[in-house]
Amino acid sequence: MAVLEIESLTKTFDKVTAVDGLDLAVGEGEIFGFLGGNGAGKTTTLRMVLDIIRPTRGRIAVFGGAPDRRRAERIGFLPEERGLYARMNAIDTIVYFGRLKGMTHGDAHRRGMELLERFDLAERAGSAIGDMSKGMAQKVQLATALVNQPELLMLDEPFSGLDPVNQGLLEAEIRHASQRGAAVIFSTHVMQHAERLCDRLLLLRKGRKRFEGTLKQAREELPAQLEAVAQADLATLRGVASATRGEPCGAGWHEWRLELAQGVDPGTLLEHCTANGIALRRWDEHRASLHDVFVHLVGNEEVRP
Amino acid sequence: MTQNILLVARREFRQVLALKSFWLTLLILPAALALGPVLGRYLGDADAVHAVVVDRSGTGVGKALEARFAEEDDRDVLQALSRYVQRHELERADPAAPWAQHDRWYTPADIAAFRQGGGLDGARTKIARVRQGDTPEFDAPAPEYIFDAPPPALASASGKAFGDIAQALFRSKDETRPEIVVLIGKDYPGDPRIALYSANQPRGRFVATMQDVLTGDLRTRLLAREGVVGEAARSVQSATPLIAVTTPAPGGGAKESMQVRSIVPLVLAYILMMSLIVSASWMLQGAVEERSNKLLESLLACIRPEELMYGKLLGALAVGLLMIGVWVGCALVATFFTQGAIADMIRPALAPVSSPGAVMTIIYFFLTGYIAISILFVAIGAMVDSMSEAQGYMMPVLFAILLPITFLLQAVLVGKEGFLVNALTWFPLWTPFAVLARLGLGLTTWEVLGTAVLMAVTIAVEFMLVGRLFRASLLATGQKPGLKIILERLRPSAEKL
Repeated sequence: MAVLEIESLTKTFDKVTAVDGLDLAVGEGEIFGFLGGNGAGKTTTLRMVLDIIRPTRGRIAVFGGAPDRRRAERIGFLPEERGLYARMNAIDTIVYFGRLKGMTHGDAHRRGMELLERFDLAERAGSAIGDMSKGMAQKVQLATALVNQPELLMLDEPFSGLDPVNQGLLEAEIRHASQRGAAVIFSTHVMQHAERLCDRLLLLRKGRKRFEGTLKQAREELPAQLEAVAQADLATLRGVASATRGEPCGAGWHEWRLELAQGVDPGTLLEHCTANGIALRRWDEHRASLHDVFVHLVGNEEVRP
Repeated sequence: MTQNILLVARREFRQVLALKSFWLTLLILPAALALGPVLGRYLGDADAVHAVVVDRSGTGVGKALEARFAEEDDRDVLQALSRYVQRHELERADPAAPWAQHDRWYTPADIAAFRQGGGLDGARTKIARVRQGDTPEFDAPAPEYIFDAPPPALASASGKAFGDIAQALFRSKDETRPEIVVLIGKDYPGDPRIALYSANQPRGRFVATMQDVLTGDLRTRLLAREGVVGEAARSVQSATPLIAVTTPAPGGGAKESMQVRSIVPLVLAYILMMSLIVSASWMLQGAVEERSNKLLESLLACIRPEELMYGKLLGALAVGLLMIGVWVGCALVATFFTQGAIADMIRPALAPVSSPGAVMTIIYFFLTGYIAISILFVAIGAMVDSMSEAQGYMMPVLFAILLPITFLLQAVLVGKEGFLVNALTWFPLWTPFAVLARLGLGLTTWEVLGTAVLMAVTIAVEFMLVGRLFRASLLATGQKPGLKIILERLRPSAEKL
C-alpha cells in the first residue's frame, strides 16, 4: 500500500517554479531517496507533504488522504535546518514533540527514555540542550522525529552536519524504521548514503523529475564499461558500442577498454565469449556509480561527492 | 487544536517562569511594599529631636517655650486622634471630647480640655470601650521635640566657649545628644537677641514657633510697660480669629473625591502599562525563539501556525496575568493589613470600582488591552530572525503606545477630560488604558459598551491580519520585513504561501 502518493505536483513562488509536475509513490517499508542539487525542489516537496506550504497544483495523498496535521501522529520529520529549545532539557524536548504528535505524557516519556538509552544519552536526559555538544543535540533532534514510531519518516538532508558516528547511528535508525514497516523518505545530495540505503531513488533537477527507480535501474541509465585482456578483436562483438585496443601484453594478447550499448548486460556478453571460445585472461566490469548517474542526469555542478 | 495550543502555551509559560528576570520583576512590587514602610522609617526623620534651652534671663520664657512645644505635640496627637475616630466612627466613645469634634482647629482651650480628660491615655481608655475587635489601635504620632536639661558645662559656659561646647555636643555619639541649643541671654528682654545653635538646618516650624512664643512674651512686656496688664494684656495677645476649618472626610471633597475615585483605575492602567513593558521582551523572546533556534519546521510539521501563535499568546497572557495577580494581591494585602495614609486613601478608593459592573469592565479591558498589544509583539517576533532585530522594531512600537498613555494618565489625574482623553478612548491601541483610567471619573454606559465592542472587533481583525503575517513570515528567513513586504504578507493570498 502506498503511504505517500504525489501526482502532478507543482509549486511556484512568484515567477519561480520550485516543483514542476512531480509524480511519485512510496510504499510501506520502503527507503526512498530524494536526490537533487541545491534548489532542486526537495525541501519544497517535503514541506508540501507536511502541509507547511500549499501546492500550486497537483495532488498529495498521505495515508490515502490530503496532507493534514491530524496525521502528524503517524509522521516523523527531521528538517534540514535543525535546532531545539536551548533551555529545555533533552527528555522534556522529546516529550514536548511527542505530545504535539498526540501522544500521552507517559507514552512520550517512556519512548523518549528508550530512544535516549539507545543513543547513549540516558544519563543526559535532564541536561539542557544548550549544555550539550552538537552531536548530542543532533541525537536528541533525531529522537524527536522518532518518538512517535512514525509510519512515514521524512528526513531532509539528514546527514548534513553529522559526525561519522552519528551518520552510522542515523543509517541504523533508517534501516530499523524500514524493517518495522515505516516508509522512509530522505533527501540528500550525498550519493554514498543513497547508494547504501535506498530501495528506490528519485532524481530531481530544477523541480522536474529526471529519474525514478531502483539503484540497479539508475546504473542502467549509463552504458556499462569493462576492461578485458583477449587475443580476439572484441570490437566486433555484438552489443559493444565502442572499443579501444590498448598495449599488447604477451604473445597475441591485448588490453581492451569496452563501452557497451545501452541496456547490454556485461554478464550476457561474457557468456557469449565463453560459448564462442573467445579466450580471455581478464574481465573487469566497471559498474557506474550513483554519482556517475547523477552527473549524467542532473549535471556535474549540482553534485557533492 | 486546543490541546496543541495549551501545550505551546504551557511551554511558553514554563520557559518564562524559568527566567531569573521574571522572578526579579515579579518580586519588585511585593519587595517595595514590604520594604517601603521599613525604609520610610529610616528615611523619614521620625525620631524626636532633642533640644536644650539655656535661659539666663530669669524671666521664665524658656519654660514658656518648652510648654508651647508640648502644646504643639498635643495638637498633633489630637488631630491624628480626630482622623482616627472619624475614620472608624468612634465618636460615641465621648461625643464631647475635642477629638470627637472634627471640623475645627484645636485651640489652646481644646488642648487644655484634652489634657483635663486624661490626655492620650484617657482618650484610649474611652475609645477601647467602644472599639470593635477588627478596628486597629490608634498609633499616636511621636513628639517632635524633647527638651532636656542643659548639661552643666553648657549651663556655665559663656561667649565663644558656649558655641564650642554646643558644637561638641552635636558631634557626640550619645543617642540623646541635643541637635538644637537655644540661648536666652541674661539681658533679655532688654536685649531681645536669642542665639540658636543647630546641628542641622533647623526646621521652619521650630523657628516659627519659637518666634511666636518670644514675640508674644516681648509684646506682653511692652504692653505692661504701657500700663496694659493682666486680663487686658492677655485679651490683646489672644485677639486671634477663631478659624473654623471644615475638612472633607477621607475620600470626600470634590477634587480629592475625584482623585480618590481615580486611584484604583489609574493604578490599574499603570499596572497594565508596566506589565506590557516588562513582559514585552519575554513575549518577543518567545516569538523569536523558534526562528532563531531553527526549529520552526519541526514544530510546523506537528502543529498549525495558528496553533503556535495562539499558544504563544496564551502563554504570554498567562505570564502577564500571573504577574499582575501577584502585584494586585500584594497591594491588596498591603492595603488591608496596614495602616496609614495609603490605606486611608485606597480603602475608600476601592468602593467606586467594586460594583460587579465596574469589576467586569476592569477585567474585560485589562484582558483585551493585554491581548491587543501582545498580538503586536508576537507579530514583530514572527517577522524577525533574532532578538536584537526584534528589539529594533519593539522600541518605536512601545514608544508609540506608551507616550500618549503618559499624557492620558496625567490628564485624568488632574481631572481633565479634554479632546485628547476622549480621542484616545476611541483609538483601539489606547482604548483599554483610557477606559481604565477614566473609570473613576465616570464613563457613560454607551461609552463602555461602544469601546468594548471596538476592542472585540479590533482583536478579531488583529487575529486575522497577524495570523496571515505570522504564517507568511514563518519560513521567510533572512528577509528584512520592510513596509512593502509586511503589506504583501497581510494579503489573504499570503496565507497559502
